Parts: sequence; C-alpha cells; structure tokens
Amino acid sequence: MQSRRHAPETEETGIDLAPMLDFTTNLLIFFIITTSFIKEAGITVFKPTAQTAEGRDSGNLMIAIRENGDIWIDRRRVDMRDVRPMMERLHIERPDDTVVIIADKESTAGVVAEIMDEVRLAGIEIMSIAADPAG
Amino acid sequence: MRKRRHASGADAEQTGIDLAPMLDFVTNLLIFFIITAVFVKEAGLEVNRPTSFEQPQEEDSESIQIQILETGEIWVDNRAVDVRAVRANVERMSAVNPDSGVLILAQARAPTGTLVEVVDQVHLGGIYNITFTTTQ
Repeated sequence: MQSRRHAPETEETGIDLAPMLDFTTNLLIFFIITTSFIKEAGITVFKPTAQTAEGRDSGNLMIAIRENGDIWIDRRRVDMRDVRPMMERLHIERPDDTVVIIADKESTAGVVAEIMDEVRLAGIEIMSIAADPAG
Repeated sequence: MRKRRHASGADAEQTGIDLAPMLDFVTNLLIFFIITAVFVKEAGLEVNRPTSFEQPQEEDSESIQIQILETGEIWVDNRAVDVRAVRANVERMSAVNPDSGVLILAQARAPTGTLVEVVDQVHLGGIYNITFTTTQ
C-alpha cells in the first residue's frame, strides 16, 4: 500500500500551476481593460464645488490652471501658446480623448475661456470644467 | 537503441507544455498594467463656448443673460443678485420661455469659482444649454 501511494507522487512535477495561471490571466485582463492612459495635470489645485457635477468616463486630458494663471499639462508647466500644438499632438495620438479643465477657484474666467478656445481650435470639441461634487 | 527510443516515448507521456515561461511573461504584463493603471475620474460641468464665427447676439431675447463682474458680483436682468438667487431667476425665466438657453458673460478677471457656481445654479434651475463668453 505504502509503496504504491508513494511512488507516483514523487514522480510528479510539483505544484499544479494551472489555477494560478487562470487567476493571473483574469487579473491581467481586468487591468488591460481598466487602463485608460490618463494624462494627468501634475499639480493640485483647489477646485470649485458644484452640486450638479457629474463624473465622466472619457475625460482623460487634464489641463490645470493655477490661481496665478499658470497652465499645467502632463506634469509640465506650459505657456498659453503651447497649449494648442500640444493638444493637437495628443489629439492625433488618441482621437477619442476629451479634455477636462481643472481651474483653481481663484483663477480668472479669461484664462479658462482662452484655453477653451485653444482646445477647440486643436480639434477637441468635448470638454468640461472640473468641479468637486458638493454635499 | 530500441530501449532508448522507448525511453523517449515515456517522455512524450509527460504532462505536456511547460507553463512556466508563459507564466513569467503574463506576470510581467500584469505588473506593468498594475503600475500604469490610474484610477482618476474627474467630475465636471459642461459648458459651451461660442466660436469666433458665431458671435453671441447681445440683443437675443431668447437667451437669459447672466453677467459676472471681476469682483465676483452677479448681474441678472440689470440687477445685482446673490449666487443663491440665480437659480430662482433662471427658473422664472425658463418658465416664461422654456427653450431658452443661458448666456454667461464673464469679465476676463472674474474668478472661476463664481463662474462654476453660477453654472451649477443654472443647471439646478433646469437649463443645460449654457454658453460662456468673456468680456473685457
């Protein structure tokens, strides 16, 4: 009895990897699907709050405007004149991208309007102004 | 010879493909995607912006005009109003003229916080067709 039980087990390769592989592949597929390659602005600003703010899945190009008028895209500070070529380049890379303008509460409406114009001229029509959901 | 061949026949009886290299590769991919995954979702408000070709018509009686001064004051209908009164004003005017949109005229130095508050109030008042322009 003992010898029969012992002999085949020692000859086997060890742990069965198949269930682990299944699990890992599932995780992999999950992360591939949820990855959206968001271009973050790279700085934190104090966003205004709004009760009607709604989350959007597709907004993935972030443009941050600081209270002193500085513009940040993709973790770099950029000049107003560079916004349009940058947006054009990113728009060619991924045509489905939409823009979220993250403007500080104290920034001026003029800068926001200028950026909206530049983004529009770069060919991206869909954009929104970021706001924290209130309440 | 024969015996050896027989031995290789025993080899073929073994479990089959070696999964280890595939597992290495899949794990590497997995780690890459875990590291690059960003779970950011910005909540936001949508606002239209007139193109330079379609200048907003100041005399357009269809649209409700809201002005924001650089001091943060809000003017509706030639009256200075509080931010909380914007909603009531918008509701009243949209009751009179249900398809009207809202035109927000902000001075260039008006704070964005006020602008977003006004947009929020207009949304609460039931109008989502908002156009935003700046004046000097």
